[in-house]
Amino acid sequence: MRTFQRNFALATAGVLALGLGLSACGGNDDKADAAGDGGPAKADIRVWLNGTDTPDTAREWLKTTFEKDHPGSTLTIEQQEWEGLVEKLTTSLSSDSETPDVVEVGNTQAPTFTSAGAFSDVSSDLGDWGGDDLLKGFVAGAQVDGKTYAVPYYAGSKYIFYRKDLFEKAGISVPTTMDEFVQAAIDLKQANPEPANFSGFWFPGQDWRNGVAFVWDAGGDLAVKDGDQWKGDLSSPESVAGLETVQKLMEQASGAAKDGNEENPQTPFCAGEVGMLSAPGWVKGLIEDPDSGCPDMVANLGVFALPGSDGQPAPVLLGGSDIAISAKSKNQDLAKDVVGLMLSDDYQKLLAAAGLTPAKNSLASDLGSDEFAQATIAAASNAKLTPAAPGWAEVEGSRVLEDLFVDIAKGGDVQQLAEAADEKITDQLSTS
Amino acid sequence: MPKDDHQREEKGVTATTAVPTATPAAADTSFAPPRKRRGAGRLPYGLVLPAAVLLALSLGYPLVRQVVLSFHDYGLAQQFGKPADFVGLDNYQELVTDTYLWKVLLRTVAFCLVNAAVTMVLGMAVALLMRLMSGPVRVLVQAGLLLAWAMPVVASLTVWQWLFDTQYGVVNWSLTRLGGDYQGHSWLLHPLSFFFVATVIVVWMSVPFVAFTGYAALTQVSEDLTEAAELDGAGGWQRLRHVVLPSIRPVLLIIGLLQIIWDLRVFTQIYVLQKAGGVTRDTNLLGTYIYRLGIGGGQFGTAAAVAMFMLALTVLMTAPYVRTMLKNEED
Repeated sequence: MRTFQRNFALATAGVLALGLGLSACGGNDDKADAAGDGGPAKADIRVWLNGTDTPDTAREWLKTTFEKDHPGSTLTIEQQEWEGLVEKLTTSLSSDSETPDVVEVGNTQAPTFTSAGAFSDVSSDLGDWGGDDLLKGFVAGAQVDGKTYAVPYYAGSKYIFYRKDLFEKAGISVPTTMDEFVQAAIDLKQANPEPANFSGFWFPGQDWRNGVAFVWDAGGDLAVKDGDQWKGDLSSPESVAGLETVQKLMEQASGAAKDGNEENPQTPFCAGEVGMLSAPGWVKGLIEDPDSGCPDMVANLGVFALPGSDGQPAPVLLGGSDIAISAKSKNQDLAKDVVGLMLSDDYQKLLAAAGLTPAKNSLASDLGSDEFAQATIAAASNAKLTPAAPGWAEVEGSRVLEDLFVDIAKGGDVQQLAEAADEKITDQLSTS
Repeated sequence: MPKDDHQREEKGVTATTAVPTATPAAADTSFAPPRKRRGAGRLPYGLVLPAAVLLALSLGYPLVRQVVLSFHDYGLAQQFGKPADFVGLDNYQELVTDTYLWKVLLRTVAFCLVNAAVTMVLGMAVALLMRLMSGPVRVLVQAGLLLAWAMPVVASLTVWQWLFDTQYGVVNWSLTRLGGDYQGHSWLLHPLSFFFVATVIVVWMSVPFVAFTGYAALTQVSEDLTEAAELDGAGGWQRLRHVVLPSIRPVLLIIGLLQIIWDLRVFTQIYVLQKAGGVTRDTNLLGTYIYRLGIGGGQFGTAAAVAMFMLALTVLMTAPYVRTMLKNEED
C-alpha cells in the first residue's frame, strides 16, 4: 500500500517529522486544572534532578522517607542533564501526560518558566517550608506579580581550585585582587612551558558562566533594563573592559580548548595540565574519586574565592537550583509533600555535607569551617544573578553567550563581537 | 529515535524498490481493453484508501498545525496556555529580511549536496568492490558495514567526538606523531573544519546503506548483457558507465533521493558537535536553526516559519528526482 503514496511521502517525510515535533509542543490547548483538586492520595511521583549535584545519600533519604510517609505511593528520581535542560523542560512541562511532578531548575533558568505559567503557585506553602529562612535572592527570582512559583533548592557559586605545589615552585602567593589573579595565571603558564596545553587558569572558550564574573567585576553587565525594555549591555565600556580581561586570560594563561566547554574540569586537572580552575564545590568530590579523579593530588589542592578589583570577593555568578511543581502535574498535593521534604532540615543537611550551600540561612553552619567551606561562603557573599528578564533562559538556550566567548577566545575584536551579541540579546529579550 | 527513523525509512525503501517489477504489469494493463482496465481500476483505489487516510491524518494534521503556527506569535507563554496572537506574515517577513536565514539555507544546501554526492560515490564504490571480493572477505566487509549502520547515532557520536577531541583526541595524537603540528588543534573551531568532521561522520553512517542497496541492485544486472558488451570490446569503465549503471538506474535514483532528503534534514550530528565545540551561529544548518529558535529560544511561530522554508526546499530539491522516477515508471 505504501508504494502508491511513496513519492509524496518520501519527499515530505523528513520535513514533516520536524513539523510533528514542533506542533506536538503547541498541541496542548486545554488548561491544567491545577486549581481544582490536589490529585489522588496515592500515585507514582516523578522527580527530576539534574546532573550529579545531589548526593546519593540525599536521594535515598528522599525516596525512603516519602514512601514511608505515603504508603502506596512511590517516588522515582529521574536524573536529567544540565546541558539542554531548558529545551527538555519546555517540551515535557507542557505535556499533560509526560510532565514530571517535581523538577529541579537552574536558578537563572527559573524566571522564564515562572513567567510562562509552567509552575504551580506555591505562595501559601512558603511559610511551612521555611519562609524568611529561605535564601532571599532565589525566592525573589521566582516571583511573578507577588506570587511565588519556585523555591530554592541549594546554592553554590564557583570558586578557584589551585595547585599548591605549582604556586610554591613559581613563587606565587594566593592573589588578593583581580590584577594579582590575572598576573598569577599568566606567570603560572610561563613557569610551566610543558605540557604545551598547560593552563595557568583553565578557561575553555564556551565558559561564559565563569567569564561573566570578569564583566561584573569591571562594572559591566549582561543586560540592563531601560524603561520597559531589556537591552544587551555587553558593549558598554565597562563590559568591554571585562571581556578584554577574559580575552587576555584565554590567550595568555589558558591552554584549554578555545571552543571547549567547562564539563569535566577534573580531567585536565588530574592530567597535571592546570594551575588554577574555577568550578563548583562539588568538583572536589570528583577529584577525590578514584574512578573519575586523582585522590593523590588532593594534598596539593587549595581553594580560594576569586578576588575582585577592590580586594573583596569578586561578583561571581550565583549558582544554584530551584525546585518547582509542574502546573500540569495531576498530583499537586503529593508533589508539595515532596518539596516539603526536600526543604526539611534533615534533607538540606545532607546537601550541606556534600558542599552545597543549603536553601535555608539557618543551616549555613552545616557547611563546616574548613578551607572549602570558607571559600564557598566567601564566593557566595558577593555573588550575582543573571538579568531578571523573563526571556533570559531563551538567551541561554540560543547559545549567544557561548558563541561570544568562543569568538573572544579565537582572538576577535571584543568591541565588535560584544555589539553583535548585544543586538541578538536585545532582540531575544524583546520578543518574549 | 534516530534508529526508529532508519527502520521506517528502510521499510519505505523496500516498498519503493518494488517499482521496477511493478512497472511491466502496469504497462500491460494500459494496452488492455478499456472495460478490463476499469474493473481492475477500482480495487487498487479501495486498497489505497486506508493508507491515504492514515497518511493524511499523520502527515496532514501536523502540516496544517505548522502552517497555522507560522502565522502566530507563539512563544513559551502561549505553550502554557496563553492565547496566541495572529500576526499574519510577520514571521515570514522577519525571516526573509534577515540575511542569516539565507546563509543557513545556502549552507544547508551545500552540505546536503556534498554529503549526498560523497556518500553515493563511496557507497557505490564499495558495492562494486564487493562484487569482486571472495566470499569470506565480503562477509567480513558486510559485517563491518552492518555494525557502522546499526550503531546508535548518539553512541557513535560520543566516540567520534573523542577521536577528534582537541586535547586528548587520537586523531591529533596520530597526526602529531606523524610529524604534523596538531597538538591542541581544534577541529571544530572553524566552520569549514567543523563541516569536514560532520561530513566524515554523516558519510560514515550513510555509506553502508548505499553499499548494501547498491550491491543488491548489482546482483540483478544480467551477466549476459555485460558479457555481450565485453565481447563487443567494451572496457571495464565503459561497461560500468554504459551497461551496469544504466540498468540499476532506478535504484540509484531512489537512494540518491533518500540521501538528499536525509542530508537536508541532518540534525543529531550537528547538534552534538555544536555542544562539543565550534561556534553555534556559524555552524547552524536548517535543522539545528529551527531547534534553536523553537525549542531552545521559545519562538515557536518563527521556527514553524523556518520549517516551511525547509519544506519548500525539500520539495524543490527532490522535484527533479521525483519527476524522473515517475517518467521512468511511465516508460
